[in-house]
Amino acid sequence: MTSTIPATAAVAHAYDVVVIGGGPAGMGAAIAAQQAGARVAIVERDAHLGGILRQCIHPGFGLEHFKEELTGPEYAQRLINEVAALPIDVHTGAMVIAIDGDADTVGGGAHRVTCMSEEELLELDARAVVLAMGCRERTRSEIKIPGSRPAGVFTAGLAQRYINIENLAPGRRAVILGSGDIGLIMARRCALEGMEVEGVYELMPYANGLYRNVKNCLEDFGIPLHLSTTVTRIIGDARVEAVEVSRVDEHLSPIPGTERVVPCDTLLLSVGLIPENELSTKAGVELDPRTRGAKVDESLMTSVPGIFSCGNVLHVHDLADNATAEAQRAGRAAATWALRESDREDESQDAIAVEAAGLAGYAVPSRINGVDALVKIWFRVRAPIECGRIRIISGDETLFCGKPRAFKPSIMESVPVTPAMLKRAQGRITLSIESIEEDAR
Amino acid sequence: MQRYDIVIVGAGITGCAIARQLARYDASIAVIEAANDIACGTTKANGGLVHAGYDPAPGTCKASVNARGCALYGQWSRELGFGFNRTGSMVLGFSETDREHLEHLLENGRANGVPDLRIIQGDEIREHEPRANADATCALWCPSTGYVDPFEVAIAAAENAAANGVEFHRGARLDGVDRDDDGRFILHTEAGDFSAKTLINAAGNGCGEVSRMAGGEPFEMVWRQGNIAVLDHEETPLMPLYPIPTPVSKGVIVTGTVHGNTVITATAAIREAGDTDTYAADVNELLEGARKLVPDLDTRRVVRTFAGGRAVIKGLNDFFIAPSTLAPGLFQAAGIQSPGVASAPAVAERMDALLHEAGIALPEKPGWNPLRERPVDFDSESTERKRALIERDPAWGRIVCRCETVPEAEIVEAIHRTPGAVSVEGVKRRCRAGMGRCQSGFCQSRVVRILARELGCSPSDVLLEDAGSQIVFGPLKEVQA
Repeated sequence: MTSTIPATAAVAHAYDVVVIGGGPAGMGAAIAAQQAGARVAIVERDAHLGGILRQCIHPGFGLEHFKEELTGPEYAQRLINEVAALPIDVHTGAMVIAIDGDADTVGGGAHRVTCMSEEELLELDARAVVLAMGCRERTRSEIKIPGSRPAGVFTAGLAQRYINIENLAPGRRAVILGSGDIGLIMARRCALEGMEVEGVYELMPYANGLYRNVKNCLEDFGIPLHLSTTVTRIIGDARVEAVEVSRVDEHLSPIPGTERVVPCDTLLLSVGLIPENELSTKAGVELDPRTRGAKVDESLMTSVPGIFSCGNVLHVHDLADNATAEAQRAGRAAATWALRESDREDESQDAIAVEAAGLAGYAVPSRINGVDALVKIWFRVRAPIECGRIRIISGDETLFCGKPRAFKPSIMESVPVTPAMLKRAQGRITLSIESIEEDAR
Repeated sequence: MQRYDIVIVGAGITGCAIARQLARYDASIAVIEAANDIACGTTKANGGLVHAGYDPAPGTCKASVNARGCALYGQWSRELGFGFNRTGSMVLGFSETDREHLEHLLENGRANGVPDLRIIQGDEIREHEPRANADATCALWCPSTGYVDPFEVAIAAAENAAANGVEFHRGARLDGVDRDDDGRFILHTEAGDFSAKTLINAAGNGCGEVSRMAGGEPFEMVWRQGNIAVLDHEETPLMPLYPIPTPVSKGVIVTGTVHGNTVITATAAIREAGDTDTYAADVNELLEGARKLVPDLDTRRVVRTFAGGRAVIKGLNDFFIAPSTLAPGLFQAAGIQSPGVASAPAVAERMDALLHEAGIALPEKPGWNPLRERPVDFDSESTERKRALIERDPAWGRIVCRCETVPEAEIVEAIHRTPGAVSVEGVKRRCRAGMGRCQSGFCQSRVVRILARELGCSPSDVLLEDAGSQIVFGPLKEVQA
């Protein structure tokens, strides 16, 4: 193993790669970076590694990464065991408060990561940093549900924590807003714990979660799913007493006269996830307004040289396995960056910009530096498409046109871009998903 | 029955400020509050602006306490250790008609004693606030405006009052008032009976009811409700920007806060008494109003919307600060609507004067301490101080609220202050745990555990705010030891 930290460095906390976040992405990045020869540390704010997986006690994890079906804690434990078997420094109970690129760092590191733990205020110097902080849940305030502000309104993840970690029930009769995967899984979880689940309400005319979750979590438990319906008012003084639900029109606006009051003592919200990038922004990392994650190149490096991003802090994944796989790429790239012999030329000036168009909600990466290797562009559609196709366009030229097929917003997908296509690109490529009917018009 | 010389009804910013003012005298004083915590009524639903005082009509009670209160804030913030930024403000004008309004405000302000008012135009507007709408052609520049965290002011005043011997009884809703043979007030509350020689009505929206129970003026109250939105932290907090005022309110104002957030405040609609619901139309009005003043404001960054009622006395667009003409011994600080926060220190000063004028003996108390030390706000401390705190107690290094960087030790301190936090929202008001962008999605379960541990109860007994606001039920399963 080679390390670029001089043996004479006086400070113990000098690393090639510091990974922020110890969930499925952070651990994946750390393992990959260590295996690529880097000295690696993980900083995790919780007392344990595992991230949100620790409270995801349902199965459905690991089919891609471990080729077998695991629960969240089992999936996490596999990674925790791998980390433990490798010389990776793990700082748990430590929260990063700053990433400083201008600090007078030791050991040739370009970034100083300042974090707090109950033992001390730690300063870790790193040649490369991997951001793997995950995401947070959208709240009732962000979607501006009117009404009162009583106890009994929870994000689905908080309710999941109460039930699965704290052994406490969030209520007795729940309404769930949002058919994202967490909402669906929590509908089943509440039912299994003896709570009454009145129904799941979804603003969009389609379910937002994976089909298997609609089947396994709602249909099998007789929980109704109300599409094109949303919560328009929260009622109750001290504790939720009811919610008012309304149908919405094609512009997603509530239709007056369709209000219905649903008695309940609990409202669970599964209304979207937002990459948690406050730390990244403070470090100068540029964000993509569409993903609300960092803008990255094909090596997952952000706009700040030496800072990489992966997992849900980059864009929201539907499978932990995908987050881990992406993180492994980021970990390897961070190690390569940290261990490089000389400063890499700034290639970004000649980079090919990547844009999303049509029904493609976003595209990751947002720029491609090299044209000699195959690059996968990850994307998600904004709405379900019964029959559509992918086109990759540069200028007037169509570089690639996919076969007609269906697309679902619940599934994150990728499309390969070959070196031949990249060499024909003129500084910019557009990933466009088009509905075939629209095309014919 | 506990006997006091003075009982103040209502622990909002007005009641707490009065308590703090009177704590300098050698008298037994109590504050009784219907809610479970202080600052839970109109004070809670407030944008935190310390208005300068150019709005009220000259000669009104409001006019006399607003500018004075604003002037006192510097001293109060130093003595009581709360955050106060005297940033100055602008009322933006977009037309010649608006300019006439500004001239009118300028005259009002000068008559009310507001210092250094000036009408400015063009680039000078953008020099004060680069994000102000570029279409604004003129503005009333008012250097004395500032902002505070209204809970922090009330809590700081209450803590200082308590440290000087004032007793706080929370969860003590007044049910009825009698007089004993000596003419003392007998106050029947949910928390038992109290006896008081002098009664001060600072009950906010409840001031009509309290006055009637005590035999005072039969104020009829109007619930002029306002919705407010709080946005996430900005790198540079915005200077308070006001539109041309409406006949009933100051209109939708955008301002920074002492914690670096942006606040949009407030709509004004007459609604049923007690209605603290937010409304979609009001929230839209806030966001549209804000974008008129600051076009680049990212309104996706809303972290919280809330609402409350201004304590308006029907037919009187003014405060009523006077001894009751109907009930001897009752003193009214009633109808304290906007600008109640800005006026609070001066309302307290006025109440002090009224008691003296009424011949109530108030000897100075030896050893009165006007100072309150500001609790540690970990996030804003220097690296060296953070390091020292963690060395002293590891709980300073255990971050519970990650949005606002609040460690466990800060929460424990908030619970053990006097009067301390007894609920999740009480913790939030004192140290900001749960106030950030995730709205306690991450920290609520942890705060519930800490409250249960420190208060010696079970997590299922922990309240969000008032009675009946239990958050969780349980345990779900018996756990084998």
